[in-house]
Order: sequence, then C-alpha cells, then structure tokens
Amino acid sequence: MEEGPLRRALILVLVVFSLLSAMGSSSSSSPSPQDVRVLSAERRIDLTSFIVRVFLTLKVENTGASDVSEILIAFSPNEVQHLSIVKASAVAGKRKKKAYLSLDVNPVELAKGPNGAQLFSIALLSPLKSSETTVVEVLYVLTHSQEPFPAEISQSESQYVYYRDSALLLSPYHIGEQRTFIKTPNTKVESYTSVNPSSRVGTEIKYGPYHDRAPYSYSPIVVHFENNHPFAVVEELMREVEISHWGNVQITEHYKLVHAGARHKGVFSRVEYQARPSISGPSSFKHLLARLPPRVHSVYYRDEIGNISSSHLRSDSLKSELELEPRYPLFGGWKATFVIGYGLPLQDFLFESSDGQHYLNLTFGCPLLETVVDRLTIKVVLPEGSKDPSVSVPFPVKQHYETTYSYLDVVGRKTLVLIKENVAPEHNVPFEVYYKFNSFFMLAEPLMLQAWRKICVFGEVFAFNFTKSQEQKKRDKTARNSHCSSDASFDFPELQSNRLGCLAEEANEKEIKKLHLDGVRDSSWRRGERS
Amino acid sequence: MTSKPITSPVPVEWYPSLSVLMLSIGLVLTASFFIYEATSSKPSRSLSKEITIGVVASFFLGFGSLCLLLATGVYV
Repeated sequence: MEEGPLRRALILVLVVFSLLSAMGSSSSSSPSPQDVRVLSAERRIDLTSFIVRVFLTLKVENTGASDVSEILIAFSPNEVQHLSIVKASAVAGKRKKKAYLSLDVNPVELAKGPNGAQLFSIALLSPLKSSETTVVEVLYVLTHSQEPFPAEISQSESQYVYYRDSALLLSPYHIGEQRTFIKTPNTKVESYTSVNPSSRVGTEIKYGPYHDRAPYSYSPIVVHFENNHPFAVVEELMREVEISHWGNVQITEHYKLVHAGARHKGVFSRVEYQARPSISGPSSFKHLLARLPPRVHSVYYRDEIGNISSSHLRSDSLKSELELEPRYPLFGGWKATFVIGYGLPLQDFLFESSDGQHYLNLTFGCPLLETVVDRLTIKVVLPEGSKDPSVSVPFPVKQHYETTYSYLDVVGRKTLVLIKENVAPEHNVPFEVYYKFNSFFMLAEPLMLQAWRKICVFGEVFAFNFTKSQEQKKRDKTARNSHCSSDASFDFPELQSNRLGCLAEEANEKEIKKLHLDGVRDSSWRRGERS
Repeated sequence: MTSKPITSPVPVEWYPSLSVLMLSIGLVLTASFFIYEATSSKPSRSLSKEITIGVVASFFLGFGSLCLLLATGVYV
C-alpha cells in the first residue's frame, strides 16, 4: 500500500519532533519552579521615608534532583515600573560572624510570569545541591510608590498617602510560611486592608503568618497613612565633571527640584507659615542636605537670578555637608531650579592603574540625601589629548561620547555621557572612568601661551629691524635735501670722508646762517632797546 | 590592583607664588628687551641677542601667565 510508508514517515516525523521538544525543554538552564521551594519568607517594608525600601529574607530549599544555580523573584508590572534597584546578598556564617556577600541580580528577559509579572534571577555563589537550604536576602527600592491622597491639600493640612502592595509575596515558588511587616513613619494610619491574620501594633502592621500558598498568589492591600517626610524629587540632574591634570576636579550640578507630594491648593500665607511653624506646612521642606567629599573648595550655590546666600558648609575629615535653603520653602507641586559647583583636589579622585591607564574614581548619583532623581546625566570631561576612554559602572546605564570645548582648547575634550533614570540613594556607589593620557600634552597649554608671546616678540623684532625708525627717516630726509648725498659713497669708503666733509660744510653754512639770523634779531633788539 | 594617586606636577599651594615670580622675571626681561631695542643703533644690533632675550622673556611670561590662570581657579 502507498499509505503505509507515508503514514510511517508521518509518525516518524512526529516522534522525532516530540523527542526534540522534550530534549529542548530538559536542557533549558532555568529550573522549573517546582524544583525550588521557599520554606519561609519574611518581608519588611519600610515606609518611613517617601522612598519605599523592602527587605526580603528567603529561606530556600532545593526539592529537585539537579543542582540549582539561580533563584527567581517576581515583581508585579506596577512594581517593575517604579523599581529603582534590586540588590541581593547571601548570608554566610552564624549569629555574630555574619558576612554578607553580594550576588548578581539580572532581569530575566525571556520568561514572564502570569499577568505580566517580571522575573529577576539571583545567581547563587555556589549551586544549591538537592535537598539543601540556603538563605538569601534581597533589598529592593521602589520610588514614586506612595500616592498622595487627598491629592491636594492646603497649607496647614497633613499629608496622607496610599501604599499598594500584596499581603502575599509574589513568587514563582511555593511558599511554606510567610510574614510581612510594614513600618509606617508614625502611628497615624487612616486605614489598612486586613487580610486575616493581620494586626497593627504602634507603627508596625503585621500580615501573617500565611501557610502553604501556591506560586504567584497575590492578595492586594492598601495602607492609607500619614507621611510628612519631605518628598524631594529631582526631576533632572545634570552633573558635569571636568578633570584638569594641573590639580583640580571641578564638578558643576544643575538641579530641577520638585516637591512630589500632595499638591498645594489655595493661598500661601507667609504670616501663618512663620508664626506657627509647627502646624503650618507640615509636609513642606525648606532645607536640603548635600553630602560632598572632604577637602572640597570653592563651593558655590546659585540660580538664574544670582547667588543664593542661604547655605552652610560644614566639613570634617571624612565628609563635607552642604546645607542648602532654596529661596522659598517647597510645598506640594512647587519647583526650584539651582546650580551647585565645587572643586576637589585631584589626588583624591584620579589614580594610575597598573597597566598605565589613568582612572577617575567618582561616586555615581546625587549628593543630596534622601532624594530620588528621575533622570540623571553625568558628563565626564576628560583632558585634551586623552585616548581610549571606557567606563565601569556596577549597574546598567546608557552611555555615549561627545566633544566639549573648554579653556585653551584646540581640538576639544572628549566627554563621556552617562544617563540613568530613576536613581535612588542606593545608587551612590563609586564608578570608574578609564583613559590614556600622555602627560606631555599638559605642556601644550603653557606652550600655547608662550607661542603667543613669542609672536609678539618677533613682531617687535621685525618692527625694530626691518622698518625704518624715526631717526633713520629724519636722516634720510636731510640727506635727500642736501646736494652732497650720493649713493656711491657707501660703496667707496674713501668717498665717505668727502661726503662727511661736504655735510660738515653744509652744517657749517646752516650754523652761520642761523647765527646771522640771530645776530640780525639781536641787533634789531638792541636797536629796539636803544630807541 | 596597585594604584597610585596622580597629583599635579607642582604643588597647588605654590601656584600664586610661582606666578608672581615668573611674571616678574618675564616682565624684567621684556623691559630689558625694549631697553636694548631703544638704546642700540641700527648697525650695532645683533639679531641673535634680540631673539635670545625675547625667547627667554616669552618663556617666563608664558609659564607665569599659566600659573596666574591656575592660581585664580581657572584650571585649564
């Protein structure tokens, strides 16, 4: 029959296809979620500031047969939008000798959980063997997650915000036991969703313990509480770092600050604000603190109008603190724009690595304490003549190169531009910029100044030597007028004396004439006197 | 990774004094150049002497003006 071989071929193809798909699924690197089980999870959510910090402690067990090298954590799509940084560390040692070793956390691009949950994978230091447990600590920071409600308040009202989360930890694994603790800034909690068993003691709201929940279980909760912490958000920060090998690193920062809390409505009464400071403007702020490196000099604070004198700089051997006061207190929705600049000694920040490259060691992020930056741009201007710039930053940033023209520049300075969005204070870690620079190029600047001066010198030499001076011009004029000038006298020195004699005679004649004229005048004067 | 900090070739505290010193020497040499030009007559002038004084004066003036820029905070 003809159908026989055709059918056999089809079955063969199907079998091969199914084998291939089975092989493909078994050789994937990420283990199926059923292999790992979370024995206990504890989540502490810190709502005391306007930046939400969540500390997660997971005790994980490998229930599968193969080694597990990574642990997955899940975030809801709303959380991922506001997620600033995720850090994980493994705990080594017990009790007093605890050491925290940081682990790499990377977003998983390909796989996604149900309802658009985003997965992040934590790479373990050593693969977890079957039926072994390990403890992983995760810290993640959420910005713009506290929604002010009511959205508009007057000057004397307190600020209340919503915080939305889930009572159950969103996880791709089965969780044996879990607890969540939410810490509010004070005891004024308007309301919170109660999911049995939940309780509130003082400033802490406790959700749990919940036992044996399936993967990706989610129970939304809302906490409505009072938060008068200054909601200082920098919409745009542009930091320019200029390196000069003559001994200075100059940093200029352009800020666009906004109060991101409940918007201020109604009138701002300065009298009320100053008369009763404790109850007026509780959610407003008028001081900002910036932490700068020690040995900072030439600090300035100005804006479009001019210098702002309401600032204080206090420095000690470890740090300098710059306390800034904008021209007006910031209420909800109000903005302030200003520029801060300061200089730092070169030897604190520029080093030479062992392979001959220079590298600049700087702190990423914003020096203002407890602020969120929506968009941060760092421009590192390298000295003229630098080659092969490269950067190493511990987290992903967007980068590109530009050319900046500064003092005494001929070809321009190579500039490295780093852009990052949603920056939290946890991003204030050092980063390095490497480049090659031949110290000889530093001499280019004084040589340029000298070259200008040499041009002046040569101009003067030229002017003195190759053009006729006044004296020379006068001599020429008299020579032209007298009849005994002849060019031949220069070629024949014996005729020179003739010419000199001739000139002397002429001069004598002139003298006699002059004396005669004087005599005439004299006699006429005498005649005048006599008469 | 062994790394040594990079400092400026000249201690930063010296910049103002260096600038005053170099500029004064440079200006003295410039003055001597002009005096030489003014007092000597055309045949007795030697081009090499002019150029020497001029080059040395411009050397000092160049470094002096660089140190002046650095001392005032314009770190070029």
